[in-house]
Amino acid sequence: MSALLALLKGSPRFFSFLAVTVLAGAGAGAERSVAAPVDFERDVRPIFEKHCIECHGSKKQKGDLRLDAKGFAFRGGKDGVILIAHSPERSSILEKIESADEDIKMPPKGDRLSSIQVATLRRWIEEGAVWNETEADRAAIVDKRAAHWSVTPVAKTFPHEASIDHYVGNELRRNGLDYAPEADRRTLIRRLSFDLLGLPPTLERTRAFERDSGPDAYERLVDELLASPHYGERWARHWLDIAHYADTHGFERDQLRPNAWRYRDYVIRSLNADKRYDLFLKEQIAGDVLFPENAEAVVATGFLAAGPWDYVGQIETKSDVLRRAARAADLDDMVTQVLTSTMGLTINCARCHDHKLDPISQEEYYKLWSVFSGLKRGDRDADPVNARKIGAQRAALELELRSKRKDLLALGSGFLDLADVVGGGDGTGDGKTGFGIHLRTGKRVSEKLGVQSDFPLNQLQKVIGKEGQDSDSEFVKAVFVPDGTSPVLLGAGKAISGLPKTNGQTWDAIRKGPLNAQRTTTVNLVDYSKEGHSILGMHANGGIVFDLAALRKRHGLRGMRLTAVVGFGAGKEAADTKGDFSVFVDDTPRFQALRMLKKDHFVLNLTIEESANTLTLIATDGGDGIGSDLLFLGDARLVGETEQSPELKTRLEAVRSEVSKIESRLKGLPEVAKVYAVTTEDLPAVVRVQKRGNPEDLLGEVAPGALRWPGHGATDFGDNSMPEGRRRAALADWIVDPANPLTRRVIVNRLWQHHFGRGIVGTPSDFGLGGEEPSHPELLAWLADQLLQQEWSLKKVHRLILMSRAYRQDSRGSGGAGDAESDSQNRLLWRQNPRRLDAESLRDAVLQVSGRLNPEAFGPGYRDFKYFEAYAPVYEYVTPDKSELWRRSIYRFVVRTTPHRFMGTLDCPDPANLTPVRNQTTTALQALSLSNNEFMLQQAKGLAERIEHEGCRGESAVERAFEICFQRTPSETEKRAAAGLQSRQGLFAVCRMLLNTNEFLYVD
Amino acid sequence: MSTDALFPEWDRRGFLSKAGGGLGGVALAALLGSEVRGASGLMDAKAGQIRPRARAVIQIFCPGGLSHVDTWDYKPELTRRQGKPFDSDGKVQFFASKPGNCQGSYWPFRQHGQCGRWISDLFPGLARHVDEIAFLNSMQSKSALHGPAMFMANSGFTLPGFPSMGAWVTYGLGCETKNLPAFVVLPDPRGLPPGGVINWGAGFLPAVHQGTVLETDAARPPISDLFPPEAFSQMTKEHEQDSWEFLQNMNREYRAGRSANSELDARIAAYEMAARLQLSAPEATDLSLETDLTKRLYALEDADRGPFGRQCLLARRLVERGVRFIQIYCGAENTGAKKIRPNWDSHEDLVRDHGYWGNVLDSGAAALLADLKSRGLLEETLVICTTEFGRQPASQGGKGRDHNASAFTAWMAGGGVRGGIAYGQTDELGYAAVEHPTYYYDLHATALHLLGLDHEALHFYHNGIQRRLTDVHGKLIRQIVS
Repeated sequence: MSALLALLKGSPRFFSFLAVTVLAGAGAGAERSVAAPVDFERDVRPIFEKHCIECHGSKKQKGDLRLDAKGFAFRGGKDGVILIAHSPERSSILEKIESADEDIKMPPKGDRLSSIQVATLRRWIEEGAVWNETEADRAAIVDKRAAHWSVTPVAKTFPHEASIDHYVGNELRRNGLDYAPEADRRTLIRRLSFDLLGLPPTLERTRAFERDSGPDAYERLVDELLASPHYGERWARHWLDIAHYADTHGFERDQLRPNAWRYRDYVIRSLNADKRYDLFLKEQIAGDVLFPENAEAVVATGFLAAGPWDYVGQIETKSDVLRRAARAADLDDMVTQVLTSTMGLTINCARCHDHKLDPISQEEYYKLWSVFSGLKRGDRDADPVNARKIGAQRAALELELRSKRKDLLALGSGFLDLADVVGGGDGTGDGKTGFGIHLRTGKRVSEKLGVQSDFPLNQLQKVIGKEGQDSDSEFVKAVFVPDGTSPVLLGAGKAISGLPKTNGQTWDAIRKGPLNAQRTTTVNLVDYSKEGHSILGMHANGGIVFDLAALRKRHGLRGMRLTAVVGFGAGKEAADTKGDFSVFVDDTPRFQALRMLKKDHFVLNLTIEESANTLTLIATDGGDGIGSDLLFLGDARLVGETEQSPELKTRLEAVRSEVSKIESRLKGLPEVAKVYAVTTEDLPAVVRVQKRGNPEDLLGEVAPGALRWPGHGATDFGDNSMPEGRRRAALADWIVDPANPLTRRVIVNRLWQHHFGRGIVGTPSDFGLGGEEPSHPELLAWLADQLLQQEWSLKKVHRLILMSRAYRQDSRGSGGAGDAESDSQNRLLWRQNPRRLDAESLRDAVLQVSGRLNPEAFGPGYRDFKYFEAYAPVYEYVTPDKSELWRRSIYRFVVRTTPHRFMGTLDCPDPANLTPVRNQTTTALQALSLSNNEFMLQQAKGLAERIEHEGCRGESAVERAFEICFQRTPSETEKRAAAGLQSRQGLFAVCRMLLNTNEFLYVD
Repeated sequence: MSTDALFPEWDRRGFLSKAGGGLGGVALAALLGSEVRGASGLMDAKAGQIRPRARAVIQIFCPGGLSHVDTWDYKPELTRRQGKPFDSDGKVQFFASKPGNCQGSYWPFRQHGQCGRWISDLFPGLARHVDEIAFLNSMQSKSALHGPAMFMANSGFTLPGFPSMGAWVTYGLGCETKNLPAFVVLPDPRGLPPGGVINWGAGFLPAVHQGTVLETDAARPPISDLFPPEAFSQMTKEHEQDSWEFLQNMNREYRAGRSANSELDARIAAYEMAARLQLSAPEATDLSLETDLTKRLYALEDADRGPFGRQCLLARRLVERGVRFIQIYCGAENTGAKKIRPNWDSHEDLVRDHGYWGNVLDSGAAALLADLKSRGLLEETLVICTTEFGRQPASQGGKGRDHNASAFTAWMAGGGVRGGIAYGQTDELGYAAVEHPTYYYDLHATALHLLGLDHEALHFYHNGIQRRLTDVHGKLIRQIVS
């Protein structure tokens, strides 16, 4: 649509102009008809057309009513029949038109019907509402959308001469165009190399290809590159763009997903292995269900969780309304991602109402929700079989360890770990790390909490035994928040008093393990977060009362010492923040450190009498309010003390040595690998249609299923008793069904897109009526068929494309000016499209030519930022200046809310979005980034050093720089100019500028 | 390949002196955003047919949730009910707490100006400008969470990934200057707001429309990568000119054989504009030539108010230089782990936090309005002051207030806005908007209208939908247009 028309459409003046003309026409017709019988075509249809069918026609069907065809008009709409011949009183259409109620009156806005028009309608109905069905009426009731090109079945037979060049060539000839000549060898290898590997070719390989006179030289090169392990690294990028993959959650509290990378590796490995595309999709949608014992298939489901996730809305808020809204956004994201990536359907448009363009109902959209409604995003075991094995070993060892520790306790020695008690254990190791005690409710919590302020101060809060239980904790008597203004009554006439004044607020919980936002867990070089140690996190202001009597009773201990290290877990920026720490045994203060700073730590070693009943630990805010008062205790232990006879000593030695053996075996257990994917519940919550997409306004229930438009397979998967896993398996089967007209068309179009810079369909994730028509529909169908013929092998389709004459053309065309005029967008492919490198390829190419690319593949992503844990974590990018940060860009740890500035400037997309096609912009900020960013300058320097290291000096150094960057020697003029710049400003200046040239950035 | 004939200007005169000369309008237009390739093809929506009233926008954003009942929205009934239960049936659940008792404004209200608007004593400076200001007292948000509500305020959607208003405006109008970016963001020097840089992202619009962050710390270069970093500071001006000239000649040579690719022109022009930016950005951010009077007006020397004053003064200078859209953040990220909240999110001590930030906002924003007015710039500059949501009329924990998505106040001034009025009302306690409840859609539609853009005609195709800033909503608030 032209800009002018778009504007006119929005202009009220334009509308009123139309309306006036129309009225005049319709009015004239109506007047003429006063005497004679009303004629539908002459008198009535014009009224419908001008006043009604904008909302009740082929584009919109408000109230499910259409007045543009006889078949629809007499069927009526949501409110029933509206036209009854001979009976104007019972024809509700007149009632609507004449209503005095502005909310009911039709049409609702714009020009109302004149009284003459109303009279005409009335008389038409009185006279029998005669409407002779015309061709137009009959055509209108056929939904043309069912025959939309993208949902017609892929033909089974094609002409025997069918090939890419058959279709492209025919279309060129029909338009009086012709192919451009084949590009030269250097151009071809550069094009192939960037297309398939995302890297420039080496000079040596380029030379070899240029010299290779074999007739199959090109074909061999194609096969060589398709077999390269870098192929998967390049093409995974395209797939991850449409999966909007990133390594953090996004939203306000953009936390890390340290295990997301396994899914990224899965994509790379699958592509490299040329995994069948149907299997590739099935694994990503339902791999955990279809192949539960197969680690790779389980990891594949990381696809479903690749998008953003709102921690605050899903977990933190106390408001159910907000939580439902966040969950709705979550499911919408999942459904949209799966359907747009695999089938190119803009399913999300049917969330609030039926799809405006495509025949997809709102109900069908919610049926897809119910396929996914049993899923949540989260970490799961990446290798279930191995995880079970390790888990069993760990459980057995831990059980053994606990029993040995109990043996020690029974001998009056050993220790009880207080952090373990906080985690719900009995002190011997059955508590859960990460668990905390909520200071207001006394409940065990696993999620991290923020500031809390409104609850009773200086009062004991009972503690619940275990998560989800009501019984009181056996060993923790209570928790409390002190403000120092009144004593904390312990009962039995005892009280804790003399505490420093505080502001009465607190942060997070009393926790087994590091606190929310704790920055350091190390004191005196011992990291207490490691195996064999423990952390008891206590942020100001809070106190915890341990029941010594109960602990003694359980374990048979008598004399005890409290040993621990008290540390300050804040970050550097909190150097001046103060905190206090106090210990009470019963009501006696036994230790107090006031105004402790981050640099301070204390070692506790207190004897506890046999008669003591309670031990109370208290963290307070140091008088300056709660800030980063991240106090914690390392290895807080109650150590048994008994007099030891020599014989007891020997027995203890023996048990201790067993304990340490078990401990070291525990340390030696491999970590259980996790992947950020989905966790499931067997019977998902029933989904209901949401009116206008509002989670608070629910309509009827739906059962799992898919949409009818593509016209293949059963679209009702089952009722709401269907188990979660079977729903996804059914959807996966439905998507990869060979009869599905969309799935194969969509993927071959994506392959085409990344080889030509543009798809046969220019809207690769929208194959609906709002998307673009294919430039070569038969070719698209043929390629889709080839994918099936080649058993879903993507590499074979690549090969078809790469071997075509269309692909191998020169991007400058054949020089005929007519080509550019008749098809300036080059949709018919009379030349190859020149393309600018995307951000990742550019960065990788720079590293490749500087000789510093670190080829290490797979594993956790490189993090070229500093990470600061905080309520909303902070990411500060650094210049990647060492080998571990010089890996290929596909291995970058992608942060959602803090996009990488350098990459973003080069059009690397925001991973909040599904990105089927990247935007490409040319800006001054790009110019500044490429010429001045420290990374670019360091790499330019690296390139200069590499050349000098190779022994090149003077002009030969300049020549070498051209060869490395462009795989060609410079012309005499270029050499002179570059040598001039080199002599004045040094080789570095030449290298820096070569990395800025269009020749470096563009692929012909 | 190349021949000497293809190097017609292979001499060493710096191209800087010819900046803007040789390339012609096409390449420059390309830089300003019309030559954009991608999913959508060429953009098809440009300036509308509405008479523009403003040519630039300065938006002050107060992240964290500015309490309307303590500032712009006078609620004497709330004060009368001080200490009485707010929610007698116990059904209301706020973001982080159950409602406490009614808590009247912590600052007394007084009437100001010709219009007699009631403003609390927290804003003595802004109170002097009420006759210039139109208050939108019935704002609502679709989320009571900072992240989604920030996105809603900036992009009209609670989800990330949508273009911000500044991106849409520059997409629709381009830039008036070729020396500076069209959309500039001045974050709080203490850090980024909740949701981070996504707040001024271009979403699916071409990256050229995203906000360019101008460093607000005076000691650092105003735009990152504007100049080579410290470690490469030995490179002289002559080195730079020599190098860039070599580059541009290489690029022209490459261009010569590829007539069909106009992006190559745009790339050449991009380097010329980059060179201009190296001159214009430091000039625009150099405050040394401002008068002492101006510096005092913006309280530049004050440790608390100075940084925001500097942001406001920079905004005025950018407007003078033709920047289209400037967004200033008055407040940073959201955390409870500081002694004073780094933004307006006053859960535990409203007097402490709003007291601090109120003083900061009042000083800088009042100075900005006065300064714009005295220079005749206010008429053509739309000033908007927003937050993501309001705060509850009920107390949280005795001294704070929880989030309130049902009611808050935004205001607009200058640029065709009718001053001295208020649009919409909240209930007698300020709990929810009751008259003309208004989402950001209407504010956005009105702002676009004042800039001469029809919010329904400004659209961009993305994944199946012609997307708009106002989604499928938005109506012009005629009452506040002069």
